Amino acid sequence: MAVPHRSAGRRSFYLNVSRWAVAPSLVYVAIFFAAPIVVMIIVSFWQRVGGKLEAVWSFVNYEKLFKKSYLLEGWFNSIEVALITTVVSILVAYPLAYVLAYQVPKHWQKFALILCILPFWTSYLVRSYAWTIVLSETGIINTVLLSIGIIDDPMQIGYTRGATVLGFVHFFMMLLTLTIYSNLVQISKSYRLAGEDLGANKFQVFLRITLPLSLPGIAIGAFITFVIAIGDFITPMILGGGNEMLLPQAIMLQVQRANDFPMASAMSVLLMISVTIAYFLLARWLKMDRV
Amino acid sequence: MAFWRTLPGWVYLVLAFGFIFLPVAILVFFSFTSRDIPLPPFEGPSLRWYNKVLNNERLVDALINSVIVGVGSALVATTLGFLAAYSIARNTSRFDGLMRYAMMAPITVSYLIVGMGLLISLHIMGVPKTLWTLGAGHVIINLPLCFGIVFAALGEHQRNIERAAHDLGANDFQTLSRVTVPMLRPSLFAAFCISFTLSWDEFIIAFLLTRFEVTMPVMLFEMLRTGLNPEINAAGSIVFGISMTFVLLAILLNLRLRRKNA
Amino acid sequence: MKPIRPNGPFSPYDRSVSTLMNRRRFMKGAAAVTGGAAAAGMMAPTKSYAGNDISFLTWCDHTDARLIGLYEEAIGGKVNVKSYEGTGSALATIEQSQPGDWDMFMCDFQDTGMVSATGIIDQLDDSRVPWDGMFEGIQAQPHAYTNGKLYGVPDKFGYYGVAYNKDKVDPEDAKSGAIMYDPKYKGRIAVYDYYFVIMQLVGISKGIIPADITVENLESVIREPLLELKANSLLTGDILTTLNALHTESVDIIVGGAEWSVALDMANSPWLDYQYFDEGALMWNEALSIVSDSENKDAVWDCIDTTLTPDGQRYLATSDCYWAMPVMKNTPLTDDEKAILRWDEQPGILANSYPSTMGTPDVDAAMIDLWTEYLAS
Repeated sequence: MAVPHRSAGRRSFYLNVSRWAVAPSLVYVAIFFAAPIVVMIIVSFWQRVGGKLEAVWSFVNYEKLFKKSYLLEGWFNSIEVALITTVVSILVAYPLAYVLAYQVPKHWQKFALILCILPFWTSYLVRSYAWTIVLSETGIINTVLLSIGIIDDPMQIGYTRGATVLGFVHFFMMLLTLTIYSNLVQISKSYRLAGEDLGANKFQVFLRITLPLSLPGIAIGAFITFVIAIGDFITPMILGGGNEMLLPQAIMLQVQRANDFPMASAMSVLLMISVTIAYFLLARWLKMDRV
Repeated sequence: MAFWRTLPGWVYLVLAFGFIFLPVAILVFFSFTSRDIPLPPFEGPSLRWYNKVLNNERLVDALINSVIVGVGSALVATTLGFLAAYSIARNTSRFDGLMRYAMMAPITVSYLIVGMGLLISLHIMGVPKTLWTLGAGHVIINLPLCFGIVFAALGEHQRNIERAAHDLGANDFQTLSRVTVPMLRPSLFAAFCISFTLSWDEFIIAFLLTRFEVTMPVMLFEMLRTGLNPEINAAGSIVFGISMTFVLLAILLNLRLRRKNA
Repeated sequence: MKPIRPNGPFSPYDRSVSTLMNRRRFMKGAAAVTGGAAAAGMMAPTKSYAGNDISFLTWCDHTDARLIGLYEEAIGGKVNVKSYEGTGSALATIEQSQPGDWDMFMCDFQDTGMVSATGIIDQLDDSRVPWDGMFEGIQAQPHAYTNGKLYGVPDKFGYYGVAYNKDKVDPEDAKSGAIMYDPKYKGRIAVYDYYFVIMQLVGISKGIIPADITVENLESVIREPLLELKANSLLTGDILTTLNALHTESVDIIVGGAEWSVALDMANSPWLDYQYFDEGALMWNEALSIVSDSENKDAVWDCIDTTLTPDGQRYLATSDCYWAMPVMKNTPLTDDEKAILRWDEQPGILANSYPSTMGTPDVDAAMIDLWTEYLAS
């Protein structure tokens, strides 16, 4: 904090203005984020009585959540699908980020990255429907496999959990590639060279040096992937073919069909708890504001 | 030798890009069909469906709404994010950690939760759903990213330059407007672009917080349920085209900025 | 109750002024992007209640550009539309809006009584409705009047049954509700994601008519065959998902489909067909209502009158979102269109049909719970 001497008066003014510059943002977050979440938590303890929202306090909604086995199952399914998505996305994205960072010539890297992001400028909804066409029994995958003779009958790929995960991985692979890549290029080459000098082979260098140093990039990408995947109802709705209910779909049923805000809020609180747990599990490597 | 060692990498690169581009290629390809449904066999090419999209008033309105909400919310989020990052980076207090957490908090819950919270609060307070409410929601989801991006760029190096400016007699606002902001231009620009992109394709909050003035993703969602229709492919391709133009412009601008600075 | 083939403001026809309109709109958009107009621009789209504009909440068939064009011509103002699916969603939308947000509401005729009980729609002047020109049986429906009062003007009707691929499915099988559980079609069925319609179809196949469904028999009679249908099906999804599956031959049958889901495509895809169950067709009937908070009720009446003109009826019946029968007997459809809609068979089908109504709040809540369980199974 060794700030220049010049004029003490000006300096304190400077400090004051910049000190208060954070205020509008904090107020904004309080009004449009914190307050609504608190309202939602409060409403989850209310009830819908005779078609109206009533401030009758009870645990009815939570009791229902834990009594109806299919709702709990929806919760577990959501967590499971989000976890699988996260793990598969990391496995697919890491090699790509690695190749981009260490094998593609420097001046081509930017270009390759942009190329990798471009498809995601199409609407995510339209892309999901495009996948159903790719995956259908008369779709490209089946047509190719049939014509090569790998299979004799069309495979059922669409409308399964596999299809949901595929749709998710397609999207999050891009995100993870970006976070991991930006982490990899920051790792100084001297670490790896030092490792090699000390007699480690390529694989050991990767396992002992590169991988641990790239954990923050993986953690940030994984966390965002998990958060977005667990809160999405479009991909499971379109690609999953309604064969497995995830919590966000149940929430939308309550909001859209039943207009039952208290029940929807209770489910949302459950969803929020899952995300909070994920946050604390990854907290060690998460430096969110240093993306 | 080197070729054989790097071969697996190149193969993987090609496969990965194939995977990434597959659905988009199909989408764009079938937008040029002349058939009534976007399925094989392909007939055409024809611009029939593009013609229809451009004559669709509601769709064009939705496109404009998307631009307005996207640009508006990105501007607000970038400004707020910059002010907060500047303030926290240039001062120390024992609340720093807390404030940083507060700024990042909205990104730690799902969009669905942010949307639900706002929907219920608006409902209870009797506030009508308009593009304003949607914009407010989009600012919230973008604020953490803007803050993060700018905060990461505010290092000691910039600080020393600011001190130098001060020593040379610049007052605080001059320092801020003539030194700090120009130095941060690339990050501010990145923050703006990312915010715009996320707002542009955001569906869940837009779905929950709008009435009939909808943005493009909500409009596409309504259209998509119309049944099989290459018009959707055409609309999707147009969105893709506009987005690409935006990105290319951004890259060009960025290049020019960099050249000037260099 | 009605189908969904959402929203299609897109019609093959070209409006001559549209090019001009679009250019103006594009300019507006361009201005918004370029300048600092962005912030000021956020103000522009907020709704002005000026003039004769009305807001219309409807199923997607009424959003056909040709029909909206007629409306705008009739009232000399703009018609803002939002489409929904299912009376429950419409009520949720209205409840989640502010008073005065909506003027005209396309409500399912069978649900007007229930909706009127919430006080959101007006009683209508019965003498203004051209009942004499409508198909026999429309006015005579048990739900037409609520305590002798009229709350909606019917304008289009159709049914739920199955839509199928003629090349793969025996048309005789499609005539019975048993097809839903037929092992012969295991994995070849897509179910339309509309909870009470599917439960009512299951009910009809098991001898329970929609009006007799209760919380009790939902659990004791309908639950089991419903879950059986789930096990027999490949997917449950919205209209696009189910149609997609039918067109790509992933499935051969859409349960819950009928004329509204395939009539539009039948001319181009001769292998498509639809059928109602012999046990009874599940009927839906759309109607137009005036929202009580509206400040522009005269304009809404003008739109209602316009809908029942020959042009209005023709555009509505062959809407680019979904086709179905117009209520007026003098609707000028072509012979091909009439054949696809089974115009001549209507008296018989109508006689063997049950209206599909949304259940009482208790039954409805139980149905949503059961549907959630169905989706999770």
